[in-house]
Amino acid sequence: MSDLVYFEDVEVGQTKRFGRYEVTAAEIIEYARQFDPQPFHLDADAAQESMFGGLIASGWHTGAMFIRMVCEHAVPGTATTGALGFDDLKWLRPVLPGDVLSVETRIKEKVDQPGRHRVGTVKIEGRVLNQRDEAVMTLTSLVLYRRRPDP
Amino acid sequence: MKYFEDVRVGESDTLGSHTVSAEEIIAFAKKYDPQPFHTDPEAARATIFGGLIASGWHTCAIMMRLSVEAARRNRTVTTGSPGVDSCRWLKPVRPGDTLTGRAEVLETWPSRSRPIGFVRSRIEMVNQRGDIVMSLVGLAMYRRREGAA
Repeated sequence: MSDLVYFEDVEVGQTKRFGRYEVTAAEIIEYARQFDPQPFHLDADAAQESMFGGLIASGWHTGAMFIRMVCEHAVPGTATTGALGFDDLKWLRPVLPGDVLSVETRIKEKVDQPGRHRVGTVKIEGRVLNQRDEAVMTLTSLVLYRRRPDP
Repeated sequence: MKYFEDVRVGESDTLGSHTVSAEEIIAFAKKYDPQPFHTDPEAARATIFGGLIASGWHTCAIMMRLSVEAARRNRTVTTGSPGVDSCRWLKPVRPGDTLTGRAEVLETWPSRSRPIGFVRSRIEMVNQRGDIVMSLVGLAMYRRREGAA
């Protein structure tokens, strides 16, 4: 456990690139049926008539795919304990069936939590990229890290 | 139909309610947010949360579902969203919690280049005890009435 990355170990400016998520029409539709049943997320024919001109993923689905890649590649080995939320989330481009997504992160800032001595907040800029390295979604996550325990 | 021109700053709306089951918390988390406090009731007990809690992204998804249903009831003509200014997961969401959404319009302005308008709203998800579990400020794009300037 001693080699976990704690709050003290995080360095502002650190970057990471990770993940590979193949987006399928079936998954776009499955997510949308459950959580975001708007025509441009549900049905390729109806989507033709929308301003997007074809089936696109729900923005919240892109957020869910982002957190899946984070859980697989960025959380293991760290003393993170969830997140407070996020700021400045932008859906910049449509996510289409056949897109292959990945994630780039950069540590933006470390913030002490007033009155909380065991955790600190790390602000992490996240960019979800498609196979052309175009950003489809960006956000700043507010991630809680445990502090290194006393020896 | 409710277009951009019909939206008023300060108006508020209840989005409806949803009761969250342990099964759906685990199913969402296994697919998208596989951390022990979201997927494994036993392991969750040993974490700082003391039991299973929903992924924050799951709470966002439930909020979206309630918003889409409310828009349908109100016959609102929206065309998606460019983003979210801020989102805070303020309290854990646990199995059996009933979440109710409420939305308040903060600001509106028309697009200069397209026949749409932007609406900035605060949306809160409140549990059965009246605790706000999630608060976000986000944007939505509304269609304009035909012929609107």
